[in-house]
Amino acid sequence: MQGSRAAQFELYKLYAKAMYNVALRILNYEEEAEDVLQEAFLDAFTRIVDFRQETTFGLWLKQIVINKSINYLRKRKMEFVGTEEISEVPDEDSFDDSDVQLQAEEIRQAITQLPDGYRVVLSLYLLEGYDHEEIAHILKISENTSRTQYMRAKKKLKSILEQKGMRDE
Amino acid sequence: MNNRLETYVKDNRKAFDIMEPPAGLWAKIEQELDTKKKKKPVKLYLWMSAAAAIVVVFGLVWLYAGKLQNKDLEIADVSASYAKKEVHFAGLITEKRDSLAIFASANPELYKKFTADLKKLDEDYERLKAELPTSPNQTFVVKAMVKNREIQLQLLKQQLLIINQVDDYKRVNQI
Repeated sequence: MQGSRAAQFELYKLYAKAMYNVALRILNYEEEAEDVLQEAFLDAFTRIVDFRQETTFGLWLKQIVINKSINYLRKRKMEFVGTEEISEVPDEDSFDDSDVQLQAEEIRQAITQLPDGYRVVLSLYLLEGYDHEEIAHILKISENTSRTQYMRAKKKLKSILEQKGMRDE
Repeated sequence: MNNRLETYVKDNRKAFDIMEPPAGLWAKIEQELDTKKKKKPVKLYLWMSAAAAIVVVFGLVWLYAGKLQNKDLEIADVSASYAKKEVHFAGLITEKRDSLAIFASANPELYKKFTADLKKLDEDYERLKAELPTSPNQTFVVKAMVKNREIQLQLLKQQLLIINQVDDYKRVNQI
């Protein structure tokens, strides 16, 4: 029961860009994100019979993309339990949002500078819209780890933005 | 505290999806889809032939094993000691039958009668042998088979005795 090629192309056109960005946010490498995207679409098209319309096709595809991306990351031996030093992040939150004109592009670039563990949790929470329970499930970590990881990631992100802002001024 | 960043990102998610996927990616996916389509029937065919081969092999083994069981179930398969007895009796029976055959030409009518009696016992024996593989109590059948042999042997002994006496009598009368 394989759909027609035209229908598959329609789905690809509709979701490719969003899914590519999802993969890229997790992996931070364009080549890997491309591989993930290709595998995910192939998987989705060949397993479309498994797709029971409990969710939308987009959410289903997104799950496939995220799972594949995480697997790629794990191959790089990434640990989700935070071992990164936090000392470099100033304890006191001196960053004042109101002073900074928030720019999506600036934030996006700052996110790419985050360490893998921070970046993944922050992306899943802020941009993919998962809650900590879901993130814990996806990354096979505890909910608490997900929360603390997210807090640290946010702190780190702000410090990156702040440094940037100071440089720009 | 400082939720502005969070809300900003959450409200502007679309603005973060700005990277474009590589242009040639769909072509790659299409190509993969084509090769997968072609592969599938071949794989199915392979699996089916493998399954068929397994069925054939099992069938042959089953038939062969079945034949072995039906044809080659001997007394020895049930009881070694009875088999020994049977072989012993069978040897003596052929011996005695050969002896009896010597008198055949001299006493054709008597020999005919004797062989008819033996034939009946032999038929019983064959019937028991045919029953053996399917019998629920194989030891019982084997016992009967050995007993049958024993009776054959005793019968032959008596027959030989009689035929000897008859022969003696005939010879004495001739003189």
